[in-house]
Amino acid sequence: MKIDHSQPLEYSTDQNQLNILGFWIFLGAEIMLFATLFTAYFTLEGRTGTGPTPAEIFEITPVLIETLVLLTSSFTIGLGVHAMRLGRKNAMITFFTTTLLLGLVFLGVEIYEFMHYYHVGATYQTSAFTAALLTTLGTHGAHVTLGLFWGTFIILQVKKRGLTPETANKSFIFSLYWHFLDVVWIFIFSFIYLKGMM
Amino acid sequence: MKELFPAKQVMGFVFSLILTAVALLVHFTDMSFSFGMTILLITAFVQAFLQLVVFMHAGESKDGKSIYTTIFYGAIIAIVTVFGSLLILLWDM
Amino acid sequence: MDFLQRFAIPHPSPAIYASMVAIALVSIAIVAGLTYYKKWGYLWTEWLTTVDHKKIGIMYLISALLMLFRGGADAIMMRAQLATPEAKLLDAQHYNEIFTTHGVVMIIFMAMPFIFAFMNLIVPLQIGARDVAFPRLNALSFWLFFAGAMLFNISFVVGGSPDAGWTSYFPLAGNDFSTSVGTNYYMLAIQISGIGSLMTGINMCTTILKMRAPGMTLMKMPMFTWSAFIANVIIIFAFPVLTVALIMGTTDRLFGTNFFTTGNGGMDMLWANFFWVWGHPEVYILILPAFGLYSEIISTFSGRNLYGYKSMVASMVLISLLSFLVWTHHFFTMGQGALTNSIFSVTTMAIAVPTGVKIFNWLFTLWKGKIRFTVPMLYSIGFIPLFTIGGVTGVMLAMSAADYQYHNTMFLVAHFHNAIIPGVVFAMLAGLTYYWPKFFGFMLNEKIGKSTFWLLSIGFILAFFPMYITGLDGQARRMYTYSESTGFGALNMVSFVGAALMAIGFVTIVWNVYYSFKHSSRDIGSDPWDARSLEWATHTPVPVYNFAKVPQIRSSEAFWDAKKHGHQLFTGKQEEIHMPNNSGVPFIMGMIFFVCGFSFVFALWIPAVVSLIGIFVCMGLRSFEKDHGYHISVKEVEETEKLLGGASK
Repeated sequence: MKIDHSQPLEYSTDQNQLNILGFWIFLGAEIMLFATLFTAYFTLEGRTGTGPTPAEIFEITPVLIETLVLLTSSFTIGLGVHAMRLGRKNAMITFFTTTLLLGLVFLGVEIYEFMHYYHVGATYQTSAFTAALLTTLGTHGAHVTLGLFWGTFIILQVKKRGLTPETANKSFIFSLYWHFLDVVWIFIFSFIYLKGMM
Repeated sequence: MKELFPAKQVMGFVFSLILTAVALLVHFTDMSFSFGMTILLITAFVQAFLQLVVFMHAGESKDGKSIYTTIFYGAIIAIVTVFGSLLILLWDM
Repeated sequence: MDFLQRFAIPHPSPAIYASMVAIALVSIAIVAGLTYYKKWGYLWTEWLTTVDHKKIGIMYLISALLMLFRGGADAIMMRAQLATPEAKLLDAQHYNEIFTTHGVVMIIFMAMPFIFAFMNLIVPLQIGARDVAFPRLNALSFWLFFAGAMLFNISFVVGGSPDAGWTSYFPLAGNDFSTSVGTNYYMLAIQISGIGSLMTGINMCTTILKMRAPGMTLMKMPMFTWSAFIANVIIIFAFPVLTVALIMGTTDRLFGTNFFTTGNGGMDMLWANFFWVWGHPEVYILILPAFGLYSEIISTFSGRNLYGYKSMVASMVLISLLSFLVWTHHFFTMGQGALTNSIFSVTTMAIAVPTGVKIFNWLFTLWKGKIRFTVPMLYSIGFIPLFTIGGVTGVMLAMSAADYQYHNTMFLVAHFHNAIIPGVVFAMLAGLTYYWPKFFGFMLNEKIGKSTFWLLSIGFILAFFPMYITGLDGQARRMYTYSESTGFGALNMVSFVGAALMAIGFVTIVWNVYYSFKHSSRDIGSDPWDARSLEWATHTPVPVYNFAKVPQIRSSEAFWDAKKHGHQLFTGKQEEIHMPNNSGVPFIMGMIFFVCGFSFVFALWIPAVVSLIGIFVCMGLRSFEKDHGYHISVKEVEETEKLLGGASK
């Protein structure tokens, strides 16, 4: 494996560059995935049948916590990648761990939120609106959950194998994934919650 | 310690918090729907762009052009899909 | 017993029981044959675990041909049923099942793997790469397609086929009107193979963007690679829409949600909308690689550079964007306003412009060329007028006001078959004949090939042109019969004769493969067609590493210029070659996906959850795996090169 030392570790081999570009293209596909979910949500938003309307079930507090937690986690993983580029393995692991812990908090609040919806009678089967809402939030939440496992695997590998072209590459790609989830959340926050409560 | 917190990323984080606060004005103050939507559209897209450039380093490698093309192409098709579908199913039904 | 009851066929017939027996016998024969000839090990090491793009391409090719015959059998049954008024060959339910599976099989499980076969076989060779960017992902893509195809194909013997049309419009496809598990099969089988297609899209785009040989700028890429690139760009942005729509359809059917239902706010039109947001780009995913193949073939057998390279590329880029802007023309009659219909009418007509540019470019390539009428060239020459007729009727359909007359009639059926058969099927058969020697080491017989072409062309015209007339006269599509007083009988009989000719044509392909395998010369060199692009610059059969030395490119017709102007393609010293390792995990994951899909179809929750966990475990293991591939030493490469015919030119 040829290693190009003029590049950051995560770009240093041909395969690494392929992986990064490939993942960006995958994110392009993810944009369409979430765009489709948003299309469904906007179309079905007003079609509540006999169930509750958006304004009746949304609560600002958990949403605010989720938003702040996810924004911060996006910041910390950015710092993690920065630390990685400085070769500071332990600092990087700390930042990545912080990120995952914040992700866990996010997930906890989201589970609370889902329980709340269940209690106020907004279940998956209630109406087209609730189905679209829970599918959109659920898809994002499932991405976060997958990210928690994936991130843990990567931290374990960095711990065990150190910062190699391979582990650095994986960590960088994971950071792209995490930032992307943050971007998606911004859109959920703006166009599902804030629009719904307006 | 200081080298672990580069100014660019800290500024980016602060700016994203400000954008979130501005978006929240829509909820906490009384404004018309179209004005609120305008604010949300601006804050959301600026925020997304911020993440892309500051945190995701989209343009840093020699594939930057391909990456930006992918994302913008995706964004255009996404917008067409969302608004086209709304036109078909809601606004012109 | 109650448990087994759910796997029974809801609407059986002797034909289905006969198929069950046939499937069982064939499976036993395959297992027995593999055991008798001791081929299990060979199958596993050479095929099931391979990550080689050429072998994956061949597996796609075989699957596509098999599915062509499955879909073709459906077609001939439909035409036979409609050949005479009030025929009793099939009843309404069977007819519904057959037109549904015909559509799905032909689009998703025949045409898609066919284009993936050519992308896999040709693209890495045309750009001078050793493999695709992610070889292992490529294998996974194939096995997901395979799992999806098998899942879909067992539907008619276990639980019942889908019967709501290949578009599966809700509310017809919902639980109220489609009570059997058929539509579950539809949702899950297409989902699984769709995920595979999406991964191929990502893989191919990365490959084409990053792995071109030195000197090959984007504007020096061979035309097939360009078309594959654009098709894959469309795949990346179109398939996620299908993924989401299918998830919603599945949850509507299995978990009682209300996306597409008619109660509690559900909106059945949303399904039609999503289906065609994916479905229209899908048409271009299929046709663009076909255009790419025609471009290669026409320029080779005209002995000229492709006319208007830049405008070819520009028109494809334009098509890729426009293909996402026209989807409403599939449901002009759904009830949206005149404004929407007008907008989409205009965009639809606009897409005919870049397509027309391509037609003229091919004609100008032929102009003053030294044309050789080989079998691939015959298909290409037949394609131009036939496809143009399909295009012109497409513009007729694009007029939203007039569409109220054509909608849901045989006119539409004639139109899209007229676009797809000369457009895609002819291209696939032309490509098959053209590239056959590169991958199998012998030519297909020209004489039999030519009779295949004439059978298919005449059969096609007889089968589909009458439908334009009956369609305008009001014969509806998807109706299993019609009364004698309609007067459709004679023309439908002509259609049946045409379909029968096409069936004979397809059988001659099999005969051709068999005959050529027995009688064709194996001494054909590496460039039997006197071709122009890079895939012909390596040996036949292609060695595992494709090119011993990385080619240096100076023009879009690199190999032609190397032959005629003495450009050196391969310079420098032989270096050792890095190759990816084989892996059984993609195959295993494909099988787990199959089990998962099957469990969801029948709502068997325990195996469904277990297999889902299995999928994630495979992904987790992959994360921890250290897989650095292996190296082929300089000595080994030189020996292989010597064996295959001297130093690489």
